[in-house]
Amino acid sequence: MLGKKQVNWLVIVFFAIIIAVVFQQIHTSMTEQGIATGGPYDNAAAYPRAIAILIGLLLMLQAAVSWFREPTTDTDADELTMKQAYRPLALLGIFALYLGLLGVLGYHLTTTPMIIALLLVCGARPSLRIIVTAALIAFTLAYFFEAHLKVVLPGGIYGLNIPW
Amino acid sequence: MLVDSLISGFGLFMTPLALGLTLLGVLFGLLVGALPGLGPLMGIILLLPVAIGLPPVAAMGFLIAIFVGGSCGGSISAILLRIPGTPLAAATLFDGYPMAQKGRASDAIGIAISSSALGGLFGGLVLIFAAPALARVASNFAPPEYTALAITGLIAIAVISDGSLIKGLISGGFGLLLATIGTDEFSTGYRFTFGSHHMLNGFHIVAVVVGLFAISEMAYQCMSGDLLAKPKITVARPGFRSVLTTLRHWKNLLRSSVIGGFFGALPGAGGVISSFTAYAVAKAMAKPEEKYGEGAEGGVVATESSNNATVGGTLVPSLALGIPGDASSAVLIGALLILGYFPGPTLFEQQPEIVGGIFLVYLASNVFLLIAGILATPLFVYVLRVPKVFLIPTVLLLCSIGTYALQASVFDLFVMLGFGLVGILLRAASYPLAPVVIGIILGPLLENNLRRSLLISQDGYWIFLDRPVSALLLGINVLLIAGAIWFAIRQGRKTGDVSEVTGQS
Repeated sequence: MLGKKQVNWLVIVFFAIIIAVVFQQIHTSMTEQGIATGGPYDNAAAYPRAIAILIGLLLMLQAAVSWFREPTTDTDADELTMKQAYRPLALLGIFALYLGLLGVLGYHLTTTPMIIALLLVCGARPSLRIIVTAALIAFTLAYFFEAHLKVVLPGGIYGLNIPW
Repeated sequence: MLVDSLISGFGLFMTPLALGLTLLGVLFGLLVGALPGLGPLMGIILLLPVAIGLPPVAAMGFLIAIFVGGSCGGSISAILLRIPGTPLAAATLFDGYPMAQKGRASDAIGIAISSSALGGLFGGLVLIFAAPALARVASNFAPPEYTALAITGLIAIAVISDGSLIKGLISGGFGLLLATIGTDEFSTGYRFTFGSHHMLNGFHIVAVVVGLFAISEMAYQCMSGDLLAKPKITVARPGFRSVLTTLRHWKNLLRSSVIGGFFGALPGAGGVISSFTAYAVAKAMAKPEEKYGEGAEGGVVATESSNNATVGGTLVPSLALGIPGDASSAVLIGALLILGYFPGPTLFEQQPEIVGGIFLVYLASNVFLLIAGILATPLFVYVLRVPKVFLIPTVLLLCSIGTYALQASVFDLFVMLGFGLVGILLRAASYPLAPVVIGIILGPLLENNLRRSLLISQDGYWIFLDRPVSALLLGINVLLIAGAIWFAIRQGRKTGDVSEVTGQS
């Protein structure tokens, strides 16, 4: 599905985008604020520009090395198959969904289902045991943070918080 | 100055909260150290949000104790499972596992814990005497020296990090860029905030670090094999007589602790290098009948004493200069900054009680390690039997609540997730993550001192070469990079490719 070579190029593209954003911000937002020119005191753009240029040079070096020195095809060992990627992708998907719903439904309505889903993704069989375990993990941590550290966890639109 | 600092710190240290949290930190550190894939850095990161709401000495005691316990905990799984809980314990399995195979698992763990605690106490002496001396020297430093020092810290980490020099430098540069997000201290202008009020102070370092390390680690962990597997482990109950057994190797213990303390004080070197070096030296100096590699007690003494002495050494440049020696000490510096204290000579001059308190909690954590480590080993052995499937959701939930608790901000949670994805991408392409964190910590120090240097300079960038200390440090940087390139080319010639230079595999 995705080999080491492709991942290397993906990271190069990622850093190239970051460099582009640095220059875009210097020429728009920072110029409009008047902090993109002047001496060391006024010029807030000089330092990030220098760092971006440095990263750019290193990136070109890395790209050249990847282009000329890397094998043109990945070995099977380097290849990440869909089967291997399923678990982390599902884990990140569930976690992202959880974070999205946390502000809306609150901690107590979202956390136990999230843990159950993660346990199932990680290979646990559906049973009463995993439901109990998930609830135990969720409420133990909630108790520790809310009762002892006085953290108010997200209550969501229903304002669900347990007065421990 | 040193005695005053310790006396004034004693009051802050001798509180039930500080002592209790130091003990708790050691136990938690041993736990995360013993569980393969976690380790002291992850332990510090997971409980960082809890610590920053505490009084300073109690908070630092908690985190430093996790560092100390975590540096030792890896030996338990190395000895029992032949899987080092952390890379720090990789050299411990050379002799620790054969000892367990010969039915001496309890002895091996007891020696590992005793050596760690004694080596850690030696590291404490290095810390207590070297840090104030270094801070005194650094009190004469001006912005050009600090600029050069920050560059040295970053380059040293990038050069020594896993992976290639180029990738290490790119990661470090990425960290420096991340540190520029928010309000500029000089011009008060906004940089890379995209009009969002959430970004006015930049990304919260805890959200970034948790995402980069913890989220990416969990994604990798869930890819590995059978997560429901329960490892079969023999019962181990070490006793306090292990201390006497360890002391019989006193020369080895002292030598390895010196190696650990020395490597710890060098930015970038860290516990892995020091433990392998100490093991190599101990093996070279051992008599043939000691049979290193077949269950020699001296092998365990060497690796464990050196990697825990490294912790004390690492804290020397971190406290005295604000230059972290590795990712864990970078996070500790981050914690100190969030608590409102700026590591460096001014901390030693203006808040000696905090410095003294930190010295004392460090020493106490090593004493607690010896006692609690030996008594609680059966508990850690039991925890090692818990299938990994339960660990992943617990860590993810702890990351979420901890990050949310920082500022009661859902935005921080998405920052954490975003950096989790970045962490996965960088790890997949073998980019080291430690330089990113070091870059974030050193970024403000570097930029502010660079701009101050240019403000006071009469002839631009020449100020860095006009001043001897800064010129020397810059010279060291050039040598470090040249040395790394030379070493990589030499390795490349030997292996017939440039994988060492580029980190491609």
